[in-house]
Amino acid sequence: MNDKTAYALSLVRQALARYTDTPSDAIELDTSLADLAVDSLTLAELLFELEDRLGTTISETESVPRLISDVVALIEPFIDDQEVKSVA
Amino acid sequence: MTRRVAITGLGLVSSQGQSPQAVFDAWCAGQSGIGLHTVGDEPHAMTVPYALCTDFDAAAVLGRSRLATMDRVSQLSTVASVSAWRDAGLDELPQVQRDLACTLWGTGGGGTQTTERSYRDLFVKGRARISPLTVVLGMSNAAASHIALQLGLGGECLTYSVACASSAVAVGEAFRRIRSGEADIALTGGAEAGLPFGMIKAWDSLQVTAPAGDQVEACCRPFHAERRGLVLGEGAAALVLEDWERATQRGARIYAEVVGYGGSCDHAHLTAPDVQGQLRALRQALHVGQLNASDVQYINAHGTATMEGDPVEVQALKALLGDHAAKVMISSTKSMHGHLLGAAGAIEIMATTLALHRRMVPPTAHLDQIDPACEGLDHVAVQGRESPGLKVALSNSFAFGGSNAVLALRSVDA
Repeated sequence: MNDKTAYALSLVRQALARYTDTPSDAIELDTSLADLAVDSLTLAELLFELEDRLGTTISETESVPRLISDVVALIEPFIDDQEVKSVA
Repeated sequence: MTRRVAITGLGLVSSQGQSPQAVFDAWCAGQSGIGLHTVGDEPHAMTVPYALCTDFDAAAVLGRSRLATMDRVSQLSTVASVSAWRDAGLDELPQVQRDLACTLWGTGGGGTQTTERSYRDLFVKGRARISPLTVVLGMSNAAASHIALQLGLGGECLTYSVACASSAVAVGEAFRRIRSGEADIALTGGAEAGLPFGMIKAWDSLQVTAPAGDQVEACCRPFHAERRGLVLGEGAAALVLEDWERATQRGARIYAEVVGYGGSCDHAHLTAPDVQGQLRALRQALHVGQLNASDVQYINAHGTATMEGDPVEVQALKALLGDHAAKVMISSTKSMHGHLLGAAGAIEIMATTLALHRRMVPPTAHLDQIDPACEGLDHVAVQGRESPGLKVALSNSFAFGGSNAVLALRSVDA
């Protein structure tokens, strides 16, 4: 996992803390949203929060995210390299 | 078809806890759940007397993932309903029967916290967008929908928003459906979440809320000569209503029987109460319950502690009861749990139910000086009163807008 992906995962974990009882260190890229009891409504709220955090708008996706890696892939393009370096 | 209607389950979230029996004990001891609370965030904040559910932990019951899709009013509603359903012994009810059970719920404001948060984001914080869940969290019927989702109830799912009579109307409508045979089981009641800053300011502007005074826990004093107004409260109260035969066949514990429901409209004024309007609802409740005025022994009053409202209610009751009035016990438990607005009817019907079940009448707390304009009935003041012969009681709910709702209840072995 490169630094940017790791950073994106950390952002998703932070945002998910409000929506799941699963400890954040137990959330990995291959964790399914269903296993976290994140349904379509919660996912909409989660993406909205991540958009807010990154100051961007994620365009509609062709397929509904199923895994944490799908969400990470959605936000990764909007993460600034400088921000990754500053926390690395 | 006319069937008897049993109350077989009670669930509660209140400022004084979540156990109906323990909270009833607190009421009978004259204990208040009212305190000073700050609503909102500076500079949009205000400290007011309020009965808030500060110990309520929705995540512990519903799980964190559900909460993102629920306004606080839905959280309160669902937790109280799950509790009532369990209390009724219906956890194992097959889905085929759940599909026939209805959800009839009351709330005054619905998801007011969500609505205000969205306005704050837009107008105060200057954000360009707001949460995509704003609509589904804020809609008035969200609480009822969450209850039905949680319990798998597939019958009618309806929300009644009739200001301070909302949940009394919901219980009344549930009574009608069970009585007529349209449904065998109904999950009913109501909820009101703590109001956001904007709504607190609105209530403040109405000039009907009590100041904290020297003793904030005692600042809501219905029927008192020096009462200063109502105190807002938060919470949810849920009841399971069930066909009497069905309940007895399955060996359910029956707390009390709902025997009558009367509703009316004052058609006189948006806020001023009206004796004749209240009287119509009271008489209708007795008529439906095939009761005489002389059968009534206890009245859980609407009794908000406003200067205008309390004497009007007493006048209506004296007109109903005639010479019998002086023998009839009356109390307003709002002195302890506050005015729960859309949930007021349900929590007070619960208080009335437990009064009949335990043969114990909860008091109007802090009532050490009765307003002469409120005399003429037997005020149960300060402390609860044991009442071994208690058989018939009424619960009054009178709303802004002029809508009135009265439930008539009877003890099980009456």
